[in-house]
Amino acid sequence: MSELLRGNFKPRTNVSAEIKSKDTVDCFEEEALQRLGGSITFVARKKFVWDGDAPALAGKS
Amino acid sequence: MTEFVAEKSNLCTKIAERLGELTLRRVAKEAVDNAQLNHPFIGEGKSIRSLQDTELMDGDSALVIAAGPSLHRFDTARLIKESGFKGILVATESSMAWCLRNGIVPHLTVTLDPHPKRIVRWFGDPDLSKTDLDVDDYFARQDFDPIFREKEIEFNRELLSLVDGHGPQMKIAVASCASHTVIRRVMESKMDAYWWNPMYDDTDIGDGLTRRLYELNRLPCLNAGGNVGTACWVFAHAVLKKKKIGILGMDLGYYDDTTYRETQKYYELIDLVGEDRLDEVFIHIHNPYVNRTFFSEPTFVWYRDAFLQMAEWANEDGVQTYNCTGGGILFGDSIKFTSFEDFLAATRC
Repeated sequence: MSELLRGNFKPRTNVSAEIKSKDTVDCFEEEALQRLGGSITFVARKKFVWDGDAPALAGKS
Repeated sequence: MTEFVAEKSNLCTKIAERLGELTLRRVAKEAVDNAQLNHPFIGEGKSIRSLQDTELMDGDSALVIAAGPSLHRFDTARLIKESGFKGILVATESSMAWCLRNGIVPHLTVTLDPHPKRIVRWFGDPDLSKTDLDVDDYFARQDFDPIFREKEIEFNRELLSLVDGHGPQMKIAVASCASHTVIRRVMESKMDAYWWNPMYDDTDIGDGLTRRLYELNRLPCLNAGGNVGTACWVFAHAVLKKKKIGILGMDLGYYDDTTYRETQKYYELIDLVGEDRLDEVFIHIHNPYVNRTFFSEPTFVWYRDAFLQMAEWANEDGVQTYNCTGGGILFGDSIKFTSFEDFLAATRC
């Protein structure tokens, strides 16, 4: 079968297939992954409120 | 009942584990840009600290209303209206539309997602066109309140009126990263706005994003847990100091009669793995409390993991969370998965 499909002419210029670099694939994958992200961030190991140097929303009891 | 360990696909888990860093990378620039754009409004407005001077501090219970499919699949509006619940209602902007349409006015609404076109839809988009619907099927495609599929343009007009009509009586907690389209609607409808910063990174980092934003606007920074539903829950206990918090509509997953196409990140997942590999990125979880299997995707699995961790922190502060959603995948040791009636009974104690 491969012999039947062999090309029978020579192009004037060399044509090489575009080979995606690993960088391009990684970049695309990274962009695709980022689109899966949440609406906003979640900060692990931190609790709920940070109000600078002031007591964090001490509020009323 | 102990936490049911979900059977997670390796790919789903791997993606979910990275979503914290990936989300920050995606939203950081927009967060800063919007915070700067919103600075004049913030300067003239109120901080969420002022919420602690309002009647929202009365009582010790709150009901968080998110916009998951269980909200409209059950007769939730009737349950709420007939409940006699005396606590405060804290709604996501995404469930605000459902609330107002069903005659429920939340005590506090929370908005945070900076998307410039999608989030304003929950407020009524004065610029919505048929072309917009052709370009983005986000609302028509998913298992939201069915009215978004049935009559998008018509309901949008109705929602504009509902929000404009109720706006002056409504309080809204607006994140500094909110888009100008949402800010415009908040202003137009004369909602009582209270501003806050989402927490983006460890506040111990000297030149971190959170600190920089705090230096810009001096607004309290809340750990929003990745999504507006969790943010509402944080508001309920960390700002408004409620100890008993019920949740409705926080499925973080899909009913088993939902197609992949009807899921939130359908197109994004196809871009990532291709349509023939979608089975690898969704996971199926059996909820033993309702004896039904749901499926979920990496983003929601991340939300779930974050919420359960935060609920554990909240337990240490004497806060008890009751998930009354009636479905979905949000269950674990740190929360009680109960009926709405059981939550109401607990609030009467």
